[in-house]
Amino acid sequence: MAEHAAVIGVGQTDFDAKREDVSQVGLIREAAERALADAELDWADIDAVVVGKAPDMFEGVMMPELFLAEALGGVGKPMLRVHTAGSVGGSTAIVAASLVQSGVHERVLTVAYEKQSESNAMWALSIKMPFTPIMVAGAGGFFAPLIRGYMERSGAPEDTGIRVALKDRLNALKNPLAHLKLPDVNFEMIQNSPMLWDPVRYLETCPSSDGACALVIGNEKHARAASAPPAWIHATNMKTEPTMFAGRDQVMPKAGLECAAGLYKKAGIQDPRKEIDCAEIYVPFSWFEPMWMENLHFAPINEGWKMTYEGATALDGDLPVNMSGGVLSTNAIGASGMVRFAEAAMQVRGQAGEHQIDGAKKALGHAYGGGSQYFSMWIVADQPLQ
Amino acid sequence: MASTRPPGDDGLSAPHILEYAYKRSLGKVLSRFFTGLRDKRIEGVRTRSGRVLVPPSEYDPETGESTLDDFVEVGPGGVVKSWAWVGAPRKSHPLAHPFAFALIELEGADTALMHVVDSGDESAMKTGMRVVPRWSDETVGRIQDIAAFIPEASA
Repeated sequence: MAEHAAVIGVGQTDFDAKREDVSQVGLIREAAERALADAELDWADIDAVVVGKAPDMFEGVMMPELFLAEALGGVGKPMLRVHTAGSVGGSTAIVAASLVQSGVHERVLTVAYEKQSESNAMWALSIKMPFTPIMVAGAGGFFAPLIRGYMERSGAPEDTGIRVALKDRLNALKNPLAHLKLPDVNFEMIQNSPMLWDPVRYLETCPSSDGACALVIGNEKHARAASAPPAWIHATNMKTEPTMFAGRDQVMPKAGLECAAGLYKKAGIQDPRKEIDCAEIYVPFSWFEPMWMENLHFAPINEGWKMTYEGATALDGDLPVNMSGGVLSTNAIGASGMVRFAEAAMQVRGQAGEHQIDGAKKALGHAYGGGSQYFSMWIVADQPLQ
Repeated sequence: MASTRPPGDDGLSAPHILEYAYKRSLGKVLSRFFTGLRDKRIEGVRTRSGRVLVPPSEYDPETGESTLDDFVEVGPGGVVKSWAWVGAPRKSHPLAHPFAFALIELEGADTALMHVVDSGDESAMKTGMRVVPRWSDETVGRIQDIAAFIPEASA
């Protein structure tokens, strides 16, 4: 029987395009120290450290977990590194949770980050290899055809993506930590923004951010002793499929469908749309909201866009999605998955401030990465799983 | 396994040159250290346990705790704690003639700074020897502002 584990501390940095005021170490410690302060713990109280980030090439520090060991109080403690592309923030939190659920450790610090300003992640993803076609299109160039595929299959109205972007950009105005804030944002501003990767417009795209996120995960004893409400981890799940194989459905990846189904089974959820109060999901390009609504079984296949269109995913909808402004407003790549997991925890702890959903008791955190191939998810709640 | 290619066929190859620009933000602690070097001043930072780290760090490497906002001028002289002689320097080494890489504990510091000692000859090197910095003609805020440390006796 696994031990109960709960989030007992959450820390996020301030996010910005360039956090030139801090070193990589300073950025990561900003999140870690905020999480420790939230948990009312010191460095010495931590049993193990789990670090995650996207490819090392993004900052040019190879195996940064070694470079960061002392900066994260890791001397004499087990330290693990996780890497699952853009989903890494989520899978890093899951690895940390597993160290507690297994009974190996009592209190684990986990941190995920990216300092994009120290290089250019967009082009690090588009290396010109000999003997292969040169795409030089970045992540958006990879995902735009998948979005077009979804639009054709589902018959979703052309402006679905604009509506997602407008919702998330308005939500970001309620989140003091969000990077991209456009106080005057409206439908026309997004519609008239330049077409970057048809059909994805500039304002339907995530920014490049510097930032980090940290969590302290504790066992039941420490969760019950904490003065702030814990976010009890009901279930975690990860699934992966290759980038390419014959017959792969890249628009609606099987790994995601199965990851979500397995997650709900572990959490005892029969009807996710009814039982989950709100969700923070990885939407780096606006159209991924309706696509993931289907992949996460919140809507029937080809009908995810209706949730966006009908306002179901708005702050006052029946399943609010990306209350924080989401990845569309803040994308420190390696941190982004953990921010989703952290924001889900903040909702059930009642910590989300202006973007809090009243009475949120059960929340989903979701991240994906690579070519829509790595999935990591968790369900957190205000009470432990019965 | 033996190659299945016909004799004389070495297969195709093409160059793959991967070049990538990076940048580093130092943060306030190391920015202060390097700004000090520009002014020919070496500063360390104090930990909560009272030790002085040189070069300074944002955190105590033993505990992970933040260091204090308490900078301490150290040196400029110090003691060689350990060293390795480079008898045949290559192009990218800091000096063109033989020298020693050394760990140098500056006066007032509790940790050693990695730098080079220009002693002329290996026989002049000794653990425990006292050294002082030789500053570059132009200091701009980088570790090479100290051109080398030299034996105090020859300063």
